[in-house]
Amino acid sequence: MITVIVIALALCAVMLFYMAVRGRRTQAGQSFRTVDLNAFRTLMDRDDERFMRENLPRSKFSHLKRQRIRVTVRYVARIASNASAVMHVGEAARMSSAPEVAQAAAQVTELATQIRLQCLVALTKLSLEYAMPSLQLNPAMLVPKYQSLRENLRLLGDLQTQNMVPLATAI
Amino acid sequence: MLYYQKHMSMRMISHGIWFVGICLQILLALVLLTKRTWRSHSFFCAYALFNLFEAALTYAVFRRGLLYFYSFWICEAIGVVLGLAVVREIFTDLFSPHQALRKLATMVFRGAVVALILLAFGVIYFQSVDVRGIARAILLAAEAARIVEVGLIMFLFLFSSAFGLHWRQNVFGIALGLGMFAAVELVTVTLIGHVSTTTAQVFNLARSISFCASLLIWAGYILAPERDTSSVEVPKRAQLEQWNQAVMELISR
Repeated sequence: MITVIVIALALCAVMLFYMAVRGRRTQAGQSFRTVDLNAFRTLMDRDDERFMRENLPRSKFSHLKRQRIRVTVRYVARIASNASAVMHVGEAARMSSAPEVAQAAAQVTELATQIRLQCLVALTKLSLEYAMPSLQLNPAMLVPKYQSLRENLRLLGDLQTQNMVPLATAI
Repeated sequence: MLYYQKHMSMRMISHGIWFVGICLQILLALVLLTKRTWRSHSFFCAYALFNLFEAALTYAVFRRGLLYFYSFWICEAIGVVLGLAVVREIFTDLFSPHQALRKLATMVFRGAVVALILLAFGVIYFQSVDVRGIARAILLAAEAARIVEVGLIMFLFLFSSAFGLHWRQNVFGIALGLGMFAAVELVTVTLIGHVSTTTAQVFNLARSISFCASLLIWAGYILAPERDTSSVEVPKRAQLEQWNQAVMELISR
């Protein structure tokens, strides 16, 4: 069994290298593509989604939401691809002998890196919502929920003989 | 008689590839010296030159059974350590222009190292029950080391792909050549102990061919000129900020 896993790992590696070589060839012809931010914002509108949820049958809503997600993914992928191209160009400009150019390039590269990171988070979130259309993910909600979990654990610790407070402060 | 002829032709092919390998290693050493690659990739140069030394040494002691065995495996161990140092060097080179990613990448890289070491120990633990003799034990250790090496190179490719990082021509070549060779080597050391002598010879041949291919990849990518990057029109900073804002809205809606 372990031998099979090791061989699978090696084969995956070879596939990955092949894809990297192919990806590098297509990356060579990479250029910036425009992003219609107004259309993108319309796609993201939760009020629209709420309206559809309230007025459409469940199956129809799921179908439409998945369609919206597919289009949104295209927008996010385009932004990610543009950010990647900016990183590439910024990297070259950082080598400039003029300090102000190098500094500006560093800032742009930094910003492009942040966008790329956020695109990854966005794509993960969209994938989950695609799998479960009824889901409405909002990472910003995580903090209050986490705070609530800590409070609940503290209360539980007060009620029980075993002290749970250290656990609540540790997580 | 037929078996003997087959065995002899296999041995001749094997020797031929070995000789081609040495020639290619000399060629690579010349390329590295001409391009002064040691300034930017010192560990890779050390790795390449050590491989040349290993080839010369093992060729010299080829007919001295035990001496060949020990010198081969000691050199292999040093080669694996140098290979891991090359992976570290690629990592540094790849992430040096991206300060924002560097911290995250270092954290994930360390996690990957720990996970791969655990997998390697798992392989040693589960397969050690079958191990009889020093040769199998060495193969097992080699398998564990190659798992870490292949896994880390995979991590580099996956991470850079996820973040759309740009590989410089020569760094990409170094990673690709090392990864290809390490992957074939991993398959070889994993299966060689479980197959017949003839099949083992085929695996050794595949290993030698993959090493020659890696040498060509290294030399080719180091000699190839770096692609021009500044021909495209760069979007304005305000435009980037708009994209940033839009994606942030999507994440926190």
